Amino acid sequence: MPTALELKAVSKRYGDTVALDGVDLSVAEGETVAVLGPNGAGKTTMLSIALGLLSPGSGVVGVFGRTPVEALQAGEVGVLLQDSGLLEDVRVDELVTAVAGMYPHPVPVQRAMRAAGVEEFATRRVGRLSSGQQQRVRFALALAGDPKLLVLDEPTVGLDVESRRSLWQEVRARTAAGRTVIFATHYLTEADDYADRVVLLAGGKIVASGPVSAIKSLVGGTEVRFVLEDADVAELAILPGVRHVRIEGRAVTLRTDDSDATLRGLFAMFDVSEVRMMSTDLEDAVISLTGGRER
Amino acid sequence: MRSYLKLEVRRAFRNPAGLILLTAFPLGLYLLWTKVLNVVPQGQRVDFAAFSMVSMTTYGAMGGALFIGGAIALERSKGWSRQLAVTPLPPHGYVVAKLVSGAAGVLPSILVVLAGGALLGGVRLPLWAWPALVALIWLGVMPFAALGVAFGYTLKGQAANLAMMGVYFVLSVLGGLWLPLQAMPEGMRALAEYSPAYQAGSLGWRVLEGQWPSGTGVGLLAAWTLLFAGLAVWRYRRAL
Repeated sequence: MPTALELKAVSKRYGDTVALDGVDLSVAEGETVAVLGPNGAGKTTMLSIALGLLSPGSGVVGVFGRTPVEALQAGEVGVLLQDSGLLEDVRVDELVTAVAGMYPHPVPVQRAMRAAGVEEFATRRVGRLSSGQQQRVRFALALAGDPKLLVLDEPTVGLDVESRRSLWQEVRARTAAGRTVIFATHYLTEADDYADRVVLLAGGKIVASGPVSAIKSLVGGTEVRFVLEDADVAELAILPGVRHVRIEGRAVTLRTDDSDATLRGLFAMFDVSEVRMMSTDLEDAVISLTGGRER
Repeated sequence: MRSYLKLEVRRAFRNPAGLILLTAFPLGLYLLWTKVLNVVPQGQRVDFAAFSMVSMTTYGAMGGALFIGGAIALERSKGWSRQLAVTPLPPHGYVVAKLVSGAAGVLPSILVVLAGGALLGGVRLPLWAWPALVALIWLGVMPFAALGVAFGYTLKGQAANLAMMGVYFVLSVLGGLWLPLQAMPEGMRALAEYSPAYQAGSLGWRVLEGQWPSGTGVGLLAAWTLLFAGLAVWRYRRAL
């Protein structure tokens, strides 16, 4: 399958700080990829390099087989940046029209504005809008050119539930039509619900990459939680199937590959109470793989 | 690129603060010189109402050209250039749009101050002189557009506007736009005659005497334009 985005051994340093450390990433056309990681993990740096806004210290970047700047100027990429400014003295429809006109095959302006949910305030000045409304304008600008690749850096920050849902609806419609989407997010449920693949960044490195289910299973399938007096890590760790033990006071959490065997052993050997089982969620996986905490 | 140019031209004509700075202020100054204070300098050859009309028109147009750079600096600091960097618009497309819309925005100021001279100042000139003044003053302030772009890519936000205010003031005083060169001491006058604003003003002043631009004048203005444009290209490349 042709690749939409390819990073090969990309590194970036700021003085003594390593922002990206040998990142390899290949995104196939039609894929939806979520980039996750704690603050400072290098998400924005990686996206900036992928878009040619930053030059990589070393390594190679390709977007549809060209340089990022070539791909952008050819109108193949639509982008929503976290901290981009908008012209404040123009109307929303004027701004979307001007940006759509830069692309070779734009969608009709009305259609882009409807998709981004900015239609109701299309004739208002951008400077008069709330920050959530301005974020929707940024999304409209990203959609306006009907790009083959959509790159969204934390697209739903500041959006209410309703706008958030309609944004993802639009993203889904695009991926269903074979378009590629890469997004960075802090909301793990968004990755869980909308991404084919998750890329986990920590300390400038990709620590895990794969479908959400694979990321979860990297950490182990099931958690068993219970209450036990005087719990001892070594005693619990030898139970069948157990991969990891965590003790917080009387509360114990076991991570296990084989919950049936673990439970049998647990009831046979210990006087436990309040036993609960839960499957790993993505948040646990991210915390354990990145060593950081997501919001 | 055309769609963005259209947006920028629309913005240029919709900016009330800018239009007041570029039209009302020079027009007000013109009326102050000629109607209220009535300071006719010694050795004034042509009608002072006409002379001052050209000075103030040049002064206003020069400001319009310079402050193209102010807009660039502001938009750079507010992140608009970052947003444009992820669209198909190439960076030079932005500068071109700014220059063209800025130049278009200068035109109303030229027309308004000249009209003020004709209607309020009682300036009477042969018919050919009016379009010649519009065209020459318009062209004459183009070096300042290049200088403005250089500032716009050197400083960010309000700092650029403050710096340009200073440069604007110094250049227009030195160029004899506020008070004619005769009023200056000997040494300053020699310097002033080579300054870009004086040369821009001379294009129009000569029209009042029925003369076309002089070869040296055009040469000097071209040299200033080249210098400022070189400065602008250098700063622009550095900022990317």
